Amino acid sequence: MTIPPPLRQDPPRPPAIVALRDDLREMFQELVQYRELLLTMTRRDLLLRYKQTIMGFGWSILMPVTYMIVFSLIFTRVVKLETDVPYPIYAYAGLLPWNFFASSLRFAVGSLTANSTLVTKVYFPREILPFSVVLVSLVDFAVGALVLAGLMAWYGVAVHWTVLLLPVVVLVQILFTAGVTLLLAMGNLFFRDVKYLLEILITLWMFATSVVYPVERIGGRLGELLALNPMTPIIEAYRAILLHGTLPAAGPFAWAAAVSVVLLAVSWLAFHRAEFRFAESI
Amino acid sequence: MGDGLIRFEGVWKKFRRGERHDSLRDLIPALGRALLRRQPEGDLGRQEFWALQDVSFVVEPGEALGIIGPNGAGKSTVLKILIRLLRPTHGRALLRGRVGSLIEIGGSLHPDLTGRENIFLQGSIMGMRRAEIARRFDEIVEFSGLGDFIDTPVKRFSSGMHARLGFSVAAHLETDVLIIDEVLAVGDAAFQRKAFDRMKEMVSRGVPAVIVSHQLERIASLCNSAILLVQGRVACQGAPAECIGAYARQQSAPAATEEPADGLRLDAIALAAAQPVPSGGRIEVVVSGEAPPAREGLRHIVGVRVRSLQTGEVVFATGTLSHRLDLPAGPFELAVELQMNVPPGIYAVETTSGPWRRDRDGRSGPATLVHVDGGQGFWGPVQLNCAMRVAPRGTGEKPRA
Repeated sequence: MTIPPPLRQDPPRPPAIVALRDDLREMFQELVQYRELLLTMTRRDLLLRYKQTIMGFGWSILMPVTYMIVFSLIFTRVVKLETDVPYPIYAYAGLLPWNFFASSLRFAVGSLTANSTLVTKVYFPREILPFSVVLVSLVDFAVGALVLAGLMAWYGVAVHWTVLLLPVVVLVQILFTAGVTLLLAMGNLFFRDVKYLLEILITLWMFATSVVYPVERIGGRLGELLALNPMTPIIEAYRAILLHGTLPAAGPFAWAAAVSVVLLAVSWLAFHRAEFRFAESI
Repeated sequence: MGDGLIRFEGVWKKFRRGERHDSLRDLIPALGRALLRRQPEGDLGRQEFWALQDVSFVVEPGEALGIIGPNGAGKSTVLKILIRLLRPTHGRALLRGRVGSLIEIGGSLHPDLTGRENIFLQGSIMGMRRAEIARRFDEIVEFSGLGDFIDTPVKRFSSGMHARLGFSVAAHLETDVLIIDEVLAVGDAAFQRKAFDRMKEMVSRGVPAVIVSHQLERIASLCNSAILLVQGRVACQGAPAECIGAYARQQSAPAATEEPADGLRLDAIALAAAQPVPSGGRIEVVVSGEAPPAREGLRHIVGVRVRSLQTGEVVFATGTLSHRLDLPAGPFELAVELQMNVPPGIYAVETTSGPWRRDRDGRSGPATLVHVDGGQGFWGPVQLNCAMRVAPRGTGEKPRA
């Protein structure tokens, strides 16, 4: 069968800057319009977890606590690691935000593909799906923070005024995490390999970050490379304001914040522009 | 409300048969091919086809457009483009106002959540505020008829309950634009009527609507314009009756466009009756055509069929042969008088031409639609022109109407 080419001329494409402005406006409007959906989706996921598991929120502390015990055994009994606070609390203060990051990534990677009925049937801004995963993990993070508070009391770590900076550090981490989850969710929709690659990536990334040992002590070329990782300044910032009562190291933390903002902006725009292909490609 | 608008301008949509590359392993060869051979957007690749070709329409406030056509004609693609799930390859789709889409409703219900939780979830997915859902919650539950089951997980629902819940949420969304796909077939007869009335009310309030349905009768009574899609092309656009007629013809006999071997041609059909016709009322249709000179051993026959659009069945058929009519050579007009002894509904009066046999239809000719309405209320497949009289007993009085 021969098919004639389109008869009508499409309207000319707007210049890139106009397209960018229109996209940004649309993204903003949609976020305002659907702000309640984000909360409803988050509530849905939390509700489902409560209904389907016996442990409920117990799961949010099991993972960082288990890791803390294992690494405490390794770095206090097998190899002695010098840290300026007792090692268990050093490790937990790193594992808690790390777990927030890693579990956001783990659940977000399949957030579009797992909700394929929604994605192919109803229109709503799809970034809601990975974003609600980040919020669910944030709730876990808050629950896990109770354990940190308990540990600090147990080891007699004083609380300093710098704890007031906690929202800033959490915000930077949320921005960075959200940016990464958008890329992962979108990547996995087009190529299911992303999910499998992610497990390796998370493991490597954890050991490239100051989660259970100070990665700054690695020198040389590798050290310079690892200094680019925005997760290290973020986790060190938690330790500084919570355990040491000092301000986060300005240079590295500013770098992490800048990377977070740029990454989120770029990946959100990419996500928004690829969005219309989701229903066809899933 | 009331300023919604739906506009489709020269929309083309390209789809791909078979599987896309889904893993990185398939991506690399695909990228290689793409680099070697750049393909202009207007062309079709080996695996591609046009799902929609140059479809345009406008639906203003207070109007409803029905889209009909066989399976795979592109009806759902139109709706998916309208609600921004798909983007057209060429052309533009514009939709102004808040969209209420009733497409495969119930798809967004989560099986592990209760009916109550799902009402809030589905409402927010459709863009309702929580406060708004809470305000209309009782109304939604009432409409769905779920009653005490509202706190039961949806996975324990029957499929009818599932669909009813989905529809009820969507039906209470305050929208500027309504997009409806095959949801008129939800639930039992009573719920279907309720759902239909609800949609009719929304359209009459000035909400522009686009409706896809295989229930032609519903399209005919809800819509004021229609489009017949066949293989992605607009085969007919205009009054619902016209498109439904074209569709019914197309369904009953795939177009035989070649010049008939016996030379008999039917050109037009005209209905002389004020619509709607009361059940049991008489109508006259005039079929015009041209017959060739008579030949020995060959009689030219015009057949007439009446088809119910509710069931798709032919309820009555006859022809000039049965009425011992010979067609004069040259242009002719054939008047056919029918008494519509049928229940209320929409009927297609179709014509056929050519040698008649009991087991086979002739070639399809022009057709028209007849709306039959209630007259006196009755129920059942035939109109028996019932008369009733009553009188007190034992007074010697005769029963009177």
